[in-house]
Amino acid sequence: MIALLEARSVVRSFGSTPALRGASVSVRAGEILAVMGPSGSGKSTLLHCLAGILTPDSGEVEFDGRRIDALGEAERSVLRRDRFGFVFQFGQLVPELSAEENIALPLLLGGTRRAAALAEARPWFDRLGLDGLQGRRSGELSGGEAQRVALARGLVTRPEVLFADEPTGSLDSLTGELVMDLLSAAAREQGTTVVLVTHEARVAAYADREVVVRDGTVAALAVDRG
Amino acid sequence: MIRFALRLTLHGGREAVVRLVVTATAITLGVAMVLVTLAGINAVNTQNARYAWLETGAVSAAPPQQSTADGLWWRLTADYVQGDLLGRIDVAAPGPDAPVPPGITRLPGPGEYYASPAMGDLLTSMPAAQLADRYPGRLIGTIGRSALPAPNTLLVLIGHTPAELEHLDGARLVSRISTVVPSSCNANCPDIGVKKNGIDLILFAVVAALLFPMMIFIGSATRLSAARREQRFAAMRLVGATPRQITLISVVESTVGAVLGMAAGFGLFFLVRPAVGTIPFTGAPFFPSDLALSGPDVLTVALGVPAAAAVVARLAVRRVVVSPLGVTRRVTPRPPRAWRLMPLAAGLLELTYYLVNGAPAGTPAQIRAYLPGLVLLMAGLVIAGPWLTMAGARLLVRRTDRAAVLIAGRRLADDPQAGFRAVGGLVLALFVTTLAVGVIDTFTAYRWAATGDPAAAGTVVQDLTTWTGRELKPTATVPDALLTRLRSIPGVDGVTVLHQDPAVAQPMWPAHTRLVLSCDELARTPVLGRCPAGADAVLAAPDLDGRTSQATTVWPALTRTPTEVAALPVQSLVVQTNGSAAPIEEARTTLELAHPSGHFVPTTLGELNAIQMKQTDQYRQLSNVVILVSLPIAACSLAVNVVAGLGDRKKPFSLLRLTGVPLAMLRRVVALESAVPLLAGAVVAIGGGFLGAQLFLGAQLRYVLAPPGFGYYLIVVLGLLASLAIIAATLPLLGRITGPETARNE
Amino acid sequence: MTVPLALLGLLEREPSHGYDLKRDYDAYFGRGKPLPFGQVYATLGRLARDGKVLAGSSEPGDGPDRKRYLITDQGVSEVEAWLREPVAPEPHLQTVLFAKVVLALMSGRSAAAYLDLQRAAHLQRMRELTEVKRSGDVVDALLADHGLFHLEADLRWIDLTAARLDALATAVRS
Repeated sequence: MIALLEARSVVRSFGSTPALRGASVSVRAGEILAVMGPSGSGKSTLLHCLAGILTPDSGEVEFDGRRIDALGEAERSVLRRDRFGFVFQFGQLVPELSAEENIALPLLLGGTRRAAALAEARPWFDRLGLDGLQGRRSGELSGGEAQRVALARGLVTRPEVLFADEPTGSLDSLTGELVMDLLSAAAREQGTTVVLVTHEARVAAYADREVVVRDGTVAALAVDRG
Repeated sequence: MIRFALRLTLHGGREAVVRLVVTATAITLGVAMVLVTLAGINAVNTQNARYAWLETGAVSAAPPQQSTADGLWWRLTADYVQGDLLGRIDVAAPGPDAPVPPGITRLPGPGEYYASPAMGDLLTSMPAAQLADRYPGRLIGTIGRSALPAPNTLLVLIGHTPAELEHLDGARLVSRISTVVPSSCNANCPDIGVKKNGIDLILFAVVAALLFPMMIFIGSATRLSAARREQRFAAMRLVGATPRQITLISVVESTVGAVLGMAAGFGLFFLVRPAVGTIPFTGAPFFPSDLALSGPDVLTVALGVPAAAAVVARLAVRRVVVSPLGVTRRVTPRPPRAWRLMPLAAGLLELTYYLVNGAPAGTPAQIRAYLPGLVLLMAGLVIAGPWLTMAGARLLVRRTDRAAVLIAGRRLADDPQAGFRAVGGLVLALFVTTLAVGVIDTFTAYRWAATGDPAAAGTVVQDLTTWTGRELKPTATVPDALLTRLRSIPGVDGVTVLHQDPAVAQPMWPAHTRLVLSCDELARTPVLGRCPAGADAVLAAPDLDGRTSQATTVWPALTRTPTEVAALPVQSLVVQTNGSAAPIEEARTTLELAHPSGHFVPTTLGELNAIQMKQTDQYRQLSNVVILVSLPIAACSLAVNVVAGLGDRKKPFSLLRLTGVPLAMLRRVVALESAVPLLAGAVVAIGGGFLGAQLFLGAQLRYVLAPPGFGYYLIVVLGLLASLAIIAATLPLLGRITGPETARNE
Repeated sequence: MTVPLALLGLLEREPSHGYDLKRDYDAYFGRGKPLPFGQVYATLGRLARDGKVLAGSSEPGDGPDRKRYLITDQGVSEVEAWLREPVAPEPHLQTVLFAKVVLALMSGRSAAAYLDLQRAAHLQRMRELTEVKRSGDVVDALLADHGLFHLEADLRWIDLTAARLDALATAVRS
């Protein structure tokens, strides 16, 4: 199968600290890939490079056949807005907006009129068990509710790739499981490819396969059985 | 997109609204200030234009070959009533085509006169013997507004025949009414209106002194919840907002606040305009309509303020626009470097240079010399502030054992810009206050006449010398009838005639002319001094400039008989009254009627002193305005910063409380963080202000700094107490916002 | 605990006598229960019969404890195959996995690679169980959760062991 998203020998440092030292990974269309590794191994940095949030110091990142590490900041922003979705561990909702506006945010940024964007956002409340929370601000939501809102926002534009960085990191096991259930179900339903960064095996178990990031490079744990 | 941005700004929750309101308020005050300044400059020019016609005698002399038929005889003299300057213009028209001054329909004929509205009121309210008798004839009309520099200007325009006027001292034949404003007048101009070389640069310095606290305030308001805003922008950038969209949102937010503030600023300006008009910056109040804004003024402010806000907003989001992960790693800001002390040092050096090398000559050159130094000092204080805060904090931290001091000191040392921003406005206000008060109070100390002594203020002096073209020649004698008449006025204590004795050697300097006084007369005018027992005459050198009181001076006796004294030529007459208005004005009127063509007008010692102090009074007015405006602004700035700081500390402080740190200690930390820079900054500001004042006074006038009056100490203490009160007022808030519910994990 | 393979692994280091083998086994893998001599010699005999070890020559009249045993090539490849094959993810695998790690370290092989293989196998099993949870009923889900938690515990232990490999290597090779 062809790779939808690929990183080749990506090197990225922060100041004098190297985070990635030639990491390569291939993500196939429609799969859920778990990126595992101890903290400080560079998993988040790899995700940021794959998603076009950071540009690598050297190496290439290709999405759908196009090099995205060479794109300008505005183009990568548009890419993130229209074709990618994001779920982070915390702090990603805009506090001034209500829950439904947060979900609609990528659509609003893309120019959709407010009414239409909110209409797109509303079905998600039911799907993710968030009924009644449409008007709440992010500060009034519990951790699990906020993560589900973030998930809805990540999927509202029907993205091709969903990037999730420790999405259950600040949640208890049961809530975390709920979020992962919903995430994997919705992704499969929409055919979304998922890149899932986690250090927890039970979360990685929701993926189709896993890779490990160690000391800035990517290794597969076992021989890939395709 | 813009609508989305507007929604974020206006409906973004309580924090966003508070920020909007505070920023808009800051901008309102700033805009109002700028508008008042612009209007003030316009008003000064408009008012000056109305002084133009009074310059007629000086600038519009008729060319010699012109026939007298279509000229105008013109004589302008200054008079006083109740301590106020009164302009007296005597005119005579040789022919029917004489030029007519503005404000009246036709020239007054002999036995007629016009008066300004304020003068008209005085003429009707005061007894004739005190005022109206000075003017021959009857009041025929009111001088119109176009000729009045100020609403309360006292003017009287008296008609004569040419024969009456042409031989009087100071009368001139003019060909037309002058349109030359005082600031452009280069000839022998009367001392009216505003001269060119004063007001522009002074106003510039005043604006600078007000603008710095204002900018600090606006900066503080903009930084309210800056961290949260940046975080929110970062979240949006991650999700895919382009840099341009983020910039747009930030710009819209700032522009909304700026537009609201600007509109309110215009409103505030119109509200305070009447009150501002009554402050006599130029010595005379303005008509409210003088404080007008020109079209370009309005456009510049209306467009400039939102534009500036947009630019500031663009710069503020620079970091997030560059990288969406901009704020995930909290970075300690870079410490201020020592070069920040340079502007302050440069300002001090500049003033010291003039101290050592002497001041340049001429007021324009002096202003050009000192103003940069003073502006450098002000700017230098603001620039050096963070470095001084950091240095002081590090010192504090090194030597302390107490946890509260350690935490507060570390925070100040890590982020001194924030620590100084809170108190910067106050420090600057204190500096300017100290400098102004130091200079002005020293002026006053060196030049002040006998204050509060009604006898001195009520002493009328009539100089009876005449200018022969080369020297001031004394009069031969004073008619007894005049002396008797003067002594008969109720409220007059005594009259003394000051004689010049040709036999007594005169010092070079006319101010110390030695005069012969009869002890008989001196006994009843003790304000001039005393006689030794048994003497008939004394040789006195009375200070008639109104500078010092000589009530206790005993003059040396002179061997002259009263008759000999009475025969000596007369320099001037001194009438001592009990200080109330009636005898003063009646004496004045009597003297004027006795010497209608005299070169000098009778003036009281108080008025003489006021003339001297006129310029100082102007400066005092300006500095009062600066103090009264900048202190509240600085206080608001402090409040905003302290509250914003509290918001930042909510989470860590809540957690500290949970671990058992007592609330009292946290309160101490917050108090120290603001109080320490405040008090240290106050010390530096006050010291710097006095130093700057001494340098300026030493360079310009060779004066030594005099201790300031009680009012200064009062203002400083009140200002500091108010600031400490503001800090203290936020401490209860700390208890409420660090309650256990805040420590819940988001 | 698979004794034959353990003994084979111990033999791979160097030829040994039976009692040396028993001593080492008890030290590393006995966990308080020493191996009976009889079991040791019986196992060795079976291994020799299968061609995985060679019993060395001994003096006539010596008992079996005086024999020296030698591993054959077949025995070596058996050890390798065993090391390479991940243990079935079930409870009490630690003992087997531990044995593998120690033996790998003793013979100078890379234990990290084996741990990775094990991780992969565990994750595969966890994936299967997660699928069961999603599609099965509540009882199935409960059982699956039980298995998942244990597997997770194993993986945690594998992580820690992987982090301590250097120290462990020094200990077992001394």
